[in-house]
Amino acid sequence: MTTKSLLSRKVQLAVGSATLTLLVVGAISYRGMVMSSESDRLVRHTHEVLEKLQDSLSALQSIESSSRGFVLTDSDEYLDLFHAGILRVQQDQTFLRKLTVDNPVQQRQFPVLDRLVNQKIEFGEQIIGLRRTMGLEAAADAIRAGRGQRIVSEFQGVVRGMQDEELRLLVLRDADAKRRLGQTKTVLILGTALGLLIAAVAGWSVQSDSIKRGLAEEALRDQEEKYRRLLDGVQDYAIFTLDPHGMVASWNAGAERIKGYRADEIIGQNFSRFYLQNDIDRGKPEAELQIAAASGRSEVEHWRVRKDGSRFWANVVLTAVRDSSGSLLGFSEISRDISERKETEAKYRGLLEAAPDAMVVVNQRGEIVLLNVQAEKQFGYHRDELLGQKVKNIIPEGFAERLIADGTRTAAEALAQQIGTGIELCGRRKDRSDFPIEIMLSPLESAEGILVTAAIRDISGRKAAEKHLAEMVWELKRSNDELEQFAYVASHDLQEPLRMVASYTQLLAKRYKGRLDSDADEFIAYAVDGSNRMQGLIQDLLAYSRAGAAGKALHEISSENALKEALTNLRATIQESGAVVTRDMLPAITTDDTQLAQLFQNLVGNAIKYRSAEVPRVHVSATKNGGKEWIFSVRDNGIGIDPQYFERIFILFQRLHGRKDFKGTGIGLAICKKILERLGGRIWVESQPEKGSTFYFALPESGK
Amino acid sequence: MDAAVIEVLLVEDSPGDVRLTREAFKDAKMHINLHVASDGAEAMAFLGREGEHANAPRPDLILLDLNLPKKDGREVLAELKESSVLKSIPVVILTTSASETDIQGSYQHHANCYITKPVDLEGFLKVVKSIDSFWLSVVKLPRKTRS
Repeated sequence: MTTKSLLSRKVQLAVGSATLTLLVVGAISYRGMVMSSESDRLVRHTHEVLEKLQDSLSALQSIESSSRGFVLTDSDEYLDLFHAGILRVQQDQTFLRKLTVDNPVQQRQFPVLDRLVNQKIEFGEQIIGLRRTMGLEAAADAIRAGRGQRIVSEFQGVVRGMQDEELRLLVLRDADAKRRLGQTKTVLILGTALGLLIAAVAGWSVQSDSIKRGLAEEALRDQEEKYRRLLDGVQDYAIFTLDPHGMVASWNAGAERIKGYRADEIIGQNFSRFYLQNDIDRGKPEAELQIAAASGRSEVEHWRVRKDGSRFWANVVLTAVRDSSGSLLGFSEISRDISERKETEAKYRGLLEAAPDAMVVVNQRGEIVLLNVQAEKQFGYHRDELLGQKVKNIIPEGFAERLIADGTRTAAEALAQQIGTGIELCGRRKDRSDFPIEIMLSPLESAEGILVTAAIRDISGRKAAEKHLAEMVWELKRSNDELEQFAYVASHDLQEPLRMVASYTQLLAKRYKGRLDSDADEFIAYAVDGSNRMQGLIQDLLAYSRAGAAGKALHEISSENALKEALTNLRATIQESGAVVTRDMLPAITTDDTQLAQLFQNLVGNAIKYRSAEVPRVHVSATKNGGKEWIFSVRDNGIGIDPQYFERIFILFQRLHGRKDFKGTGIGLAICKKILERLGGRIWVESQPEKGSTFYFALPESGK
Repeated sequence: MDAAVIEVLLVEDSPGDVRLTREAFKDAKMHINLHVASDGAEAMAFLGREGEHANAPRPDLILLDLNLPKKDGREVLAELKESSVLKSIPVVILTTSASETDIQGSYQHHANCYITKPVDLEGFLKVVKSIDSFWLSVVKLPRKTRS
């Protein structure tokens, strides 16, 4: 368009200037012609004056000659010629006066001429009279006097002067006329030349523009061809144009592939056929055109229909095309089949919905792009209230920060650090109440970049349970401590009065045995026995309450030394029973040596105490279990234990035998169990009645 | 056997134990003059010969129970060992406590001996006898300087 308007302006300019030139030339020529005809008139006027002067001269000469003729012949014929001459000269004089009225130089000559004409007429009449009256001779004498000839000569002289003047004027006027003619010619030639030049320039310019336009048009055609090929080459996008009314104007290969129409089928058809019927009914196609026309561009994701009626989910960008003046030429539409993405999204969404936890998908800007119904429930929002919102609204701290890259890490690294780790944070509901959550993050590659899927679990219940558990543990510990304190205090304080009872019954027995009756002796004996047993129980109870409570710092000790110490304490028992105690190499272990010695002492002591008829043989060994625990064993060849009692034997004051068979209160294994619990170990037994027992205890290699 | 008399101060609040101690010393070969203070304060008054104890003898041996009313045995022990006059008197701690902290604390205060009160009569008698023989065989008594 621009090229064309430029061209027309150039043409207009050329025509205008040519016209102007012609007008100027015409005006100059016209003026030249006017001036020239005036010159011609003046020239003609001069010639007329010259003629009349010549004529008046000849008329005067005719007066002379006719007067002479009459004198000679006395014929009236000459008189007529004489009078005709007078008339002629007088007419000529009048005429000349008029002709030369504008020339004062000539006008000044007329009185002279008039006088001479009158003298001539007077002289002619004089000689005519003389002839008639005095005859030929007198008249001839008058003629011979020469006056008449002198008058003619004088007249002739004046006429010659006037003729010279007229000739001078003629030369001037002729030159003037020639000059004007030359000027006019020059103007005409120059004007014509200028006109031609303008015409040539205009012609050249137009020609050149036209060549340029030709080239530009060619280039444009090339470009358009390239674009067309390019567009045709695009298979993944339907790219086509619409006229302002929504009629398809062009169609690329991608459009054919995606929508199923060939170019010749669809060009000229309304684009609304790409919409679902109910969208058409609701006027959606027109509405989208209006939006694009108003805002320049509209982008939607919606269903589109193929030629075969099948639908696909499309991303559509509609752009208004306008010319330089802003009037709407049509629209271009670029659409893409994103059904697959939609399907993937749908699958992913399905997955999200199926998840038991609240799931929130967040982009790198910390905005929520997807969430499931559990998330809606957990945070108390409707889906639409959260989509596109900052995740900070529901998780105020600790989440968004983890997604953000900083100077030392990229976004990917920031994310990578968080993957798979449960992070305990605080969630905020719509009603502003907070609740504890645990979130697990995982990355999700998508068309919009890396998204983060956060599985969010409400751990209020767990937190409450943990708190409850901690309270229970604390309560239990307090209760245990109290119990221990109670056991210690009770046994300690019970001991005093018991000692009194025991001491004085013993004193009684010592002093009065045999001095009272036999009943008294028996009664005293029972009292002594009862107080003794009670003392035993109380002492054991004290020992039990103290067991494991020493709280000594653990350090690496030799378990072999601990065993040796135990055997030293048991020396009397071993000697008395003739027991044979053997051992393997025992390890170094980080534990409480006193308590380990106590363990060995109790277990080896039991092994000897509960011996069968055979010589007691006790073997102590240790093996490593998986590198973390040492398992000690004390094996004997004693009476063995029925498996049904395996649990019971470790309970405080539980005994399997009567006091007559084996002494003791049933404290030893209970103390062992307590010590091991304190040291982070455990104890158990393998045994069969009459086949010996093996007591095992496990201790952590490097302390608790 | 020399008819020497050993002055013993028993610091004990339990009359049962006092009597039992007396009974035990009955069988002793030594002639033992047993004085009794029923609490720590009285023990210190006796040792300082204050008030009614103005004529109290300087004991050759102190048997000290740790758990006492008013001023307990640990304080008595500490004061004794800080006194230049009294610190040379041997002190035997008699207690029912077998707690390690009690034992260690007592030795830190220079108790000469620490005896857990045996719970049976035989044990108690043994203890008294061992004290008896200890003095007989080992200790040169400072009694002669005193009379």
